[in-house]
Amino acid sequence: MKWPDSVSIKQIALAFITGLMVLVSLIGGFAAYQTRAVTHSLEQQNLDAAKSELSAAVQRLLSRTEEQAVKLAYWDETRQQLVMPEYYTYWRDQRVYESGMLNNRYVRTALYDHSGLLLEPSPEKSSMPARLPASMLPHQNSGWLIDEAGAVALYYAFPVYSDEQRQALLGHGLIRLDFMPALLQQDTLHFIDTSSVSLALKPGETLAVSDLFPRLRFSARPDPEQLRFQTILSRTLLALFVLLVVTALLVFLAYNRLLVRPLERLSELIDAMQHGRFSPNPSRSQTMRISELDNIRRSLYDYQLQLRELHGSMEHQNREFHTQARQDALTGCHNRRAYEEDWENFRQELKTAPQGVAFLLFDCDRFKTINDTYGHAKGDRVLSIIADALVMALRANDRLYRLGGDEFATFLSRTTPAQAKQIAQRCQSLLDASAFSDLGIVEPVGISIGIAFCAPDQLEQIDELPKQADIAMYTAKQPGRNRIALYGEDTERASQTLVASRETSALFQALATPGMVEMHYQSIHSLPGRKVDYYEALARIRYHGDLIMPDAFLPVVSSRRLETEFDLAVLHQVDADLSSGQLPAGCGISINLSALSISHPEIVSHLLELSRHNASHPLMLEITETSLITQMAEVRTYLDLLRTVNYRIAMDDFGTGYSPLRYLVDLPVDVVKFDISLVNKLGHDNRAGKVVADFARMMSDAGYSLVAEGVETDVVLRKVESLGIAHVQGYLLSLPVPLAELAASLASQGTACNV
Amino acid sequence: MRIYLLCLLISFFPAAAHAEIAQQEMRPGISASAEYLVGERSKPAVLLLHGFLQTREFSTVATLARGLQDEGYSVLSPTLSLNIPNRTQSLACEAVHKHNMEDDVAEIGRWVTWLKSRGHRSIVLVGHSFGSLQLLAYLSAKPDSAVKAYIGASLIEAQIGTANRPALIAQLENRVHGKQRALVTQTLSFCKKYPSTPEGLLSYARWDQARVLAALRQSPVGVNLIMGEEDNMLERGWLKALQHMQAPMVIVKGASHFMDGAHEFDLLEHTLESLERIQQAPSR
Repeated sequence: MKWPDSVSIKQIALAFITGLMVLVSLIGGFAAYQTRAVTHSLEQQNLDAAKSELSAAVQRLLSRTEEQAVKLAYWDETRQQLVMPEYYTYWRDQRVYESGMLNNRYVRTALYDHSGLLLEPSPEKSSMPARLPASMLPHQNSGWLIDEAGAVALYYAFPVYSDEQRQALLGHGLIRLDFMPALLQQDTLHFIDTSSVSLALKPGETLAVSDLFPRLRFSARPDPEQLRFQTILSRTLLALFVLLVVTALLVFLAYNRLLVRPLERLSELIDAMQHGRFSPNPSRSQTMRISELDNIRRSLYDYQLQLRELHGSMEHQNREFHTQARQDALTGCHNRRAYEEDWENFRQELKTAPQGVAFLLFDCDRFKTINDTYGHAKGDRVLSIIADALVMALRANDRLYRLGGDEFATFLSRTTPAQAKQIAQRCQSLLDASAFSDLGIVEPVGISIGIAFCAPDQLEQIDELPKQADIAMYTAKQPGRNRIALYGEDTERASQTLVASRETSALFQALATPGMVEMHYQSIHSLPGRKVDYYEALARIRYHGDLIMPDAFLPVVSSRRLETEFDLAVLHQVDADLSSGQLPAGCGISINLSALSISHPEIVSHLLELSRHNASHPLMLEITETSLITQMAEVRTYLDLLRTVNYRIAMDDFGTGYSPLRYLVDLPVDVVKFDISLVNKLGHDNRAGKVVADFARMMSDAGYSLVAEGVETDVVLRKVESLGIAHVQGYLLSLPVPLAELAASLASQGTACNV
Repeated sequence: MRIYLLCLLISFFPAAAHAEIAQQEMRPGISASAEYLVGERSKPAVLLLHGFLQTREFSTVATLARGLQDEGYSVLSPTLSLNIPNRTQSLACEAVHKHNMEDDVAEIGRWVTWLKSRGHRSIVLVGHSFGSLQLLAYLSAKPDSAVKAYIGASLIEAQIGTANRPALIAQLENRVHGKQRALVTQTLSFCKKYPSTPEGLLSYARWDQARVLAALRQSPVGVNLIMGEEDNMLERGWLKALQHMQAPMVIVKGASHFMDGAHEFDLLEHTLESLERIQQAPSR
């Protein structure tokens, strides 16, 4: 038998009351059993008393009859009738009663002569035997009973003598009486049920009085005291039982009302609290009549109040935390986490509610430059203003997410491409109207917006939207674009889209697959003489047999912030090329390196390892995108380190963008490469060309070795030579060629690199 | 005197124990008994008879018998059978009375004979109440010569209440003559209801005061009367009538009809005095 783990208090109460009822029932049953035993004993005593009483009554009746017989036998007048029976009937019917010899008319007497014959016939109603029984002894009293037509008669015969010495027998007397009335009319019968007394006597049967008692049938009269005792006891037991049942019921009800219900309420309250459900107004809860329980209730309610306050506070804090966790601290718009959650939820919603969805990707143009130029504080302010403008431009239910840096995004539900473009234009309009000049920023601050749209019947492509928007945004950033581009529609042709996608795929595959980045080498010539001094390693991606040029994949590298990974791939490939031994010893190699990669330990570590080639191939690092340097001191340290292993440092693309002179001053630069756009100015004999020429001269005077890149015309070449610039590079002099071709060329020409 | 007699009674008590019960069959089936107290042979024997329906055990009679024996008198105290075999109890008024005066007188004669058979030649009849009347009736018949004197105590006639005696007698005589055997219930003596045969009642009813007085006058023996002064049972003027008889008569002061209590000794004393006088007087 397995006991339940727990039982309710109601079950305990029921068990207790049931047990109590069973116990009382057992006690009641025991009492009833004892009562029955006592009753049986009393009945037996009563029966014994009745038996004794009946015996005494019979004896008393016989004695009284005998006394009457003796009195009659010794009565003078009896003797007179036996001698002179002339007035016998008077004596028999009147005299014996008047004299008091017989005191009951139901008792009759008769006299018989000495021969046993009746003196005078008896009246019909009390017929006496005409002759005494022959068996009767003449000198002895004799009694017998006989059933006469259903009535039992007692006869008592006695001898009558004429003398006191009982010598002269005169005759006999006979007393007859109705036995049952005579027996039962005695006042002393208290225990016998007189109606039950009978004598088992056959009609006409004669029974001697000595055999009388065993033939008597009787039953005891119920003892009224005993009956009263039984009645009182039964009623008491019944009343006790009813009282107990009623009491048990009342106790159970009271127990239920006072204890069980309050405990259940408390239990429900605790359960509700456990599940975070609080009573709306606990103070109004019904009070409990048990003070201890009421104390618990009040304590629980107080605790509930405190808990509710705490819960409210925690909910508020949770909301706050949730909000903070999903909010961008700088701009106040939602952050990337919120974006990821909302985007996932939105994607799920779309499964049940198909609709047109537009994904908008915002990117601030030249934010890095602004940040570097005006400082981070103003850069942050710029981002806040942009965010405010975008939020204002979006619809009421649209959310703006800051994905990172200056990149924002939103997705528009229930929209069309036209509506999405309209919203994008509104964003740009509001941003254009923003007062960036109040921050002291004079350059125009704009955003490029890439839009991707997914029709309701194309929701299976919903996951492509962010990437498509990214591509569109890249497209929008292309020079001469409208800064708003809708993926796959008005801003890019399908082929471009395919190319873009192809280039992106090629880039990622190249980063993951060594050898896909293919280095082409373009010679850099020293001036004057135009002799090849060293080669610049230029990266290409060989993808399915096609060669993808840098202008196709570098924007992807830039937008995906893959500069470090890409630079590592380039270093690996250059290392491989140099290790291949195809290049003759003494051929110097310059390697393009993003400024972001300089501070990356893995890059630095790789460069240190690559420096082993410096002995045979002097190496130069061309730092590009210097405007992206944020940790100037750290970059300087690394560059100093690299110079110690004989790297020469060149600043690439000088003269483009917002590359201030500060980088030139702060960084340990050996070579400055004039950007092709700046070099092209030299071809024009105007003030710009003069400025460039003067600047180049000044740089040379300052000890910098200058390289003019992008030289494509003789005019520019002569101008460069005239300015005293040490090196020149461009299609005019040579095109970038693969390593094998370069090696073959060098081998065919028999030229060796300068060492 | 009374105290003296009491002391005398106590001192002679052993002599009283000398007694016997005599029994005679008066009629077929009817036996009667008498107590015989033996006295001195020199003194007359006393036949002492009880009152109406009583026995010799009646207190007045029994006391008197003992007293007389104590004085040396032989006393025969019979109980009249009243036609009841061996009657030992006082007969109830309501009992069937089949006896009559003639039967009573016969039984007295039988007992006088019995005394004579015991050698008593001088017999004094002493009766109380109705016994005095029955003895007087005996004297009116043919008394035995051995009877020498008669002492009647509380002598009374056969009273019949308010009934007209002549009419009653006539009625009874008619019944007797008509052999009507039905019991007649009549007042007799102290019995208000006295069922009796007609001839039995008639025999008693005939003894009115006149007949008593006549019987006294005609008594063959000397008559002595002892009457109670406070005898309420007597008819008015009965004592005076008796006094006119000029017979010796003592009236006991304060005594009732039954001479009971202390008057029992007065009765004994006067009886003894009468017996003394009888012994001293010359016989007729």
